[in-house]
Amino acid sequence: MKKVLALLLALTLCLSVLTAVADTKVSFFTGKIETIDLLNGIIDEFNAANPGIVVEQEYQNDASSVIKVKFASGEVPDVMTTYEQEFVDQGKYLDLSDMSDWWSRLVPSMKDSCTDLKTGKQFRVCTNMTMAGFFYNKEIYAKLGLTPATTWDEFVANLTTIKQQMPDVTPWFIFGKEAWHLGHLIEFIPHGYLKQTLGALECKKAMLNNDSAKLNFGAADGAMAVFAQNLLDLQKNGLINEDVLTATSDNCVEAFVTGKAAMFSNGMWALSGLLEANPDMADKIGFAPYPAYMPNSKPVVLCAEDSGYSISATSSNVDAAKAFLNYLFNADNQKKYSEALGSPSAFTDVDANWAPAAFAAEVKNVLNTAVNIGFTNEKPAGFSGDDAGRLVQDLLAGTYDAQGFAKAYEKAWNEGF
Amino acid sequence: MKEIWFFKTVRILLLMLICAMCIIPFYVLLVLSLNAPSRVFYEGNMFIPTFAWGNYADAWAKSKIGTAMINSAVITFGTLALTILFGGMAGYAIARRNTPMNKAIFSLLIGCMMIPGIINTVPLYTLMRQLGAINTLWGMVLVCSTLCLPSAVFIYTTFVRSLPRELDEAAEVDGCTGFKAFWRIIFPVLKPATASFVILNGFGVWNNYAQAVFFLQSREKQNIPQALSVFFQQFGGAKWHLMSATAVIAIVPVVVIFLVFQRQFIEGLTDGAVKG
Amino acid sequence: MQSKGWVANGARHKRHRREYTQYMSLPALLLFCAFFVYPLIRGVGMSLTDWDGMGEATFIGLNNFARFFQDARAMGDIKTTLIFAAGSAILLNLVGLMYALLMEKPFHGRSATRVIIYLPAIISPLIMGYIWYFLLQPGRGFLYHAMEQLGTSFQLGNWMSDYPTTMTVLILVNVWQYAGMTMIIYLAGLQNISSDLREAAMIDGASTWQRFTRVTLPLLMPAIRINIVTNIIGSLSVFDVIMSLTEGGPGYATESLSIYIMRMCYGSRTGYSTAVAMILFMIILIPVLISMRLTRAKD
Repeated sequence: MKKVLALLLALTLCLSVLTAVADTKVSFFTGKIETIDLLNGIIDEFNAANPGIVVEQEYQNDASSVIKVKFASGEVPDVMTTYEQEFVDQGKYLDLSDMSDWWSRLVPSMKDSCTDLKTGKQFRVCTNMTMAGFFYNKEIYAKLGLTPATTWDEFVANLTTIKQQMPDVTPWFIFGKEAWHLGHLIEFIPHGYLKQTLGALECKKAMLNNDSAKLNFGAADGAMAVFAQNLLDLQKNGLINEDVLTATSDNCVEAFVTGKAAMFSNGMWALSGLLEANPDMADKIGFAPYPAYMPNSKPVVLCAEDSGYSISATSSNVDAAKAFLNYLFNADNQKKYSEALGSPSAFTDVDANWAPAAFAAEVKNVLNTAVNIGFTNEKPAGFSGDDAGRLVQDLLAGTYDAQGFAKAYEKAWNEGF
Repeated sequence: MKEIWFFKTVRILLLMLICAMCIIPFYVLLVLSLNAPSRVFYEGNMFIPTFAWGNYADAWAKSKIGTAMINSAVITFGTLALTILFGGMAGYAIARRNTPMNKAIFSLLIGCMMIPGIINTVPLYTLMRQLGAINTLWGMVLVCSTLCLPSAVFIYTTFVRSLPRELDEAAEVDGCTGFKAFWRIIFPVLKPATASFVILNGFGVWNNYAQAVFFLQSREKQNIPQALSVFFQQFGGAKWHLMSATAVIAIVPVVVIFLVFQRQFIEGLTDGAVKG
Repeated sequence: MQSKGWVANGARHKRHRREYTQYMSLPALLLFCAFFVYPLIRGVGMSLTDWDGMGEATFIGLNNFARFFQDARAMGDIKTTLIFAAGSAILLNLVGLMYALLMEKPFHGRSATRVIIYLPAIISPLIMGYIWYFLLQPGRGFLYHAMEQLGTSFQLGNWMSDYPTTMTVLILVNVWQYAGMTMIIYLAGLQNISSDLREAAMIDGASTWQRFTRVTLPLLMPAIRINIVTNIIGSLSVFDVIMSLTEGGPGYATESLSIYIMRMCYGSRTGYSTAVAMILFMIILIPVLISMRLTRAKD
């Protein structure tokens, strides 16, 4: 009996040592739920084709919080989709600037978008683009003879027409219960103004350095205050939904697909939800930019990098990680990925049907005519998009007037550093 | 006689009202789970869903709820077993042998019950990492046991204190030593406390999300709330129909167990009335 | 101490047993120290620094605590948390006790009723929160539409439009969800009271009310104590209910301290959030000590 046990023990020890030596584990951490199954499929294929490497996907719903705990306790995934400026500053990511195989296949502007301003290097690679703007109901517009607005006055005029001619329809549906949505409005509209007037690069620098002369958040006639006043006016005139503070994105989808809302602001990620709720909407959804609302400005549209991957600077499996990413980035897989995600690929050699043809064409048109801006990645660490959104909630609840809002925003921004 | 009849009716009516109130969320959950995604909720009769049974198959596959349920079960069972044992022993010791050390232990545990969990997260995560306990079920059991322990000790101590000393004396007469006295004589009498503790904390462990997020990572080890979170999107609502189908799947075994073991629970709650 | 009951086998065994028994609390202590106290101590150190979760932590003494008391948002959170806890703890106990009293005497379908009342506590708070909002959303909730379709209208209005109504709804939802738990403890306590005692009181001519206050309540003290302490702790650290119904909003109006701590922690103010957690601990400690004193069991 003893002998058998000893043999078994020795055997298991050997096996575990062997497998430990043989298998390189690559941990892949993601917060993206929409593509989990697709990626698992790709991972399985890769694992099968590469004996000795085992890639494991970890999905966490609240990825950005979990990653902070992981960093804080020294455990870092090999590959991750979470990317924040503060992590870059702490040197958490591997320098990917010389992965020319990848950069050469991506659109040229992608390398710029992925560049960290402080060091001039790239610490992540993004495979897709995502856009955000106004989704509008083409049927309603056609019926009322409207065209998407390019200035704020036109925009208000459109909303007013809709309200007068179709009293049952909400002109602009804002789902203000979800703070991130309001935070996005801030990043697209007032920040959008800053980004176009200062230029993308200068604006990023101004934000990183908290250059208040350039940012001018608290000014009474600045981007923030005017935006706040515009919102308050819309609210007063009933041009947005009355229950803006309690409406959710589900409400918005439902209202839009049943023709009870004429337009709403969101990104491409919302498209699949709309089509799932009502497949007939496919040819009725239009896409428009955010109209210019400050003097001497132009309409903007969000065109930002999406689906980024970074490698940990302290990873012991860098080669395996890169091999996995190589496989993930091949044209076939990226086509599937684009179509699953519903956003266009940034790879020049990938041709995916990520949206209904007419819609995709209109999006392309908007991208060409409006100023392209990105997300505000240079927010202070202690003042997130959600925090900004909550300030807007306070605004809509009547806590602030426009000027008070601008001042409060500036204060919160400064304190966030 | 008339009076009693009147009160009884009022009582029953009140209880029926309360039951109705408690059932509504489940009814809603059920209806949601049987609606197709393209069903606009408020048109037509909203009390009757479209009976999209396919949601259940879909939800099962996408959320890996089967594995999650097993994980949750293992974690819950392990945690309860560990805390009942340690908590019961501690409650007995503290209530019956009120030494300064035991007094201190009691105060420590109760005091720590009031400390918000967040303080612990980062250092605990580091510790568990060093033990190799991250992403293991036994690691999660340890974490959850630690969280439930103060409550267990509190409940057991309070109940043991209310037990008459005759019990201990009876044990001594039979020649039982400390642990045996505890296990054979005292513990069975503690059934109300055990039942209360299980009912109170069991579900907390079953539904634990705050700790699971950090200590359970791979899909194979994730528990039920994590499996459910799969349907919450980052920028947008949830896939209601799938999420509620998953929730229903997860609730059914729990309710069944609750119903099946109800008698034990009831007996547990009613036992221990030691008549003088 | 141990009563002077006679012991077989002599005094020397008596000392042996006594010493053994008192150490039975050690396993619990060890487990707890390893996985709670030790990390806690390391965590407490953070409250005296300005650590942001990643980089260097510099010692700043009691600065975090000072900043907390100067922050308007934090003060508002204290108010919200206290109001919520006071309302919840009181109502939970009243409602739980009422449920237990209603359920005490047997009747048909009692087991099923017991299960049903307890059901809300079984569902993960994550899901319950969504369902509650789904039911109660002003203007769009299930209950509104249900009432309409049934012919009446649900005059709850926009309960999120002002602070008192929002807090009331939050407290009610919390009570609704957790009354089952309180009930269970009271049921256990009630069962423990020998019915002989109550009969004796009845024979003595005491009225129902007198029976209740003089006999039942005092003997229910252990149960009351457990419930009040647990409810106070639970409602002062409320997170899920508020997060899912209002997310602390609109703005920060209904934010609780736990939510504030979480947001600070992940907003890269980790050191500060630990300090706030210590403050919350103090806030919880005082009412708990008071209630434990008040419900002291006569041992």
